[in-house]
Amino acid sequence: MKFETLPIGDTIAAIRGVGRLNMVSAAALRETVSEALSTGRTRIVVDLSGIDFVDSSGLGALIGCLKSARQAGGDLRIAQLTAQVTMVLQLSNLDRVLKSYESTEAAYND
Amino acid sequence: MTKPAGILRLIAPPADVNDVHDFVEVELNRHPDLNDMDRMTFTTALIELASNVIQHADTGLGVSCTLTVRVEEDSMTAQLSDSAEDGGIKLVAHGLPEDDLAESGRGIAFIQALVDDLHYTRIGDRNLWIITKKRSPAPPSNVRGL
Repeated sequence: MKFETLPIGDTIAAIRGVGRLNMVSAAALRETVSEALSTGRTRIVVDLSGIDFVDSSGLGALIGCLKSARQAGGDLRIAQLTAQVTMVLQLSNLDRVLKSYESTEAAYND
Repeated sequence: MTKPAGILRLIAPPADVNDVHDFVEVELNRHPDLNDMDRMTFTTALIELASNVIQHADTGLGVSCTLTVRVEEDSMTAQLSDSAEDGGIKLVAHGLPEDDLAESGRGIAFIQALVDDLHYTRIGDRNLWIITKKRSPAPPSNVRGL
């Protein structure tokens, strides 16, 4: 799976992919976030509207990206969760760590 | 009526968890009466199991896996047999990692939370994993008594 980055302003990157966020695609997400951070975009929003499935490997990637963003002085937020992603986040209690928003705009405006 | 179980045989790599996921979707789609929550939880648990086997059991030669999915009137069962060494995955009562920011260690806890039974046994030179989930009761039919 490929992730696309939409630059917003000077410091925000909205990142979106379509498909499953699992052990196969997790590395691509990490790489995409890492590239955005390296260009100074430290406020990351991952738009999950196209992700119909996430597993613990995918969650691990999101957590890793969150830590990278914070180390760079920014943050990572998630937006537009599908039903399965919401279930897995709640199951793992990560809904307390990864802040989710109804839209990409709401995520970066907060 | 119970339909015959679907069987997938693969060697990972080159096959990966997406091949398993595609197979599971096709198998569950053969049962349109399955409710969305049962489908979602069972798929999530089974993909976690397959990911664990593929990720942790490969010693460089690839892992040979045989997966069987069976949907019956009141339950769903998956059997995953693999060629990895004994104890390739440590199956103990897992909780979630204490560190909220841990990047791994949630897979087995997910499986245990999502299905009714996770069973492991060693048979000959293969591991056999069986997960079972009871199906949710069907909603009452509106046409009953007509």
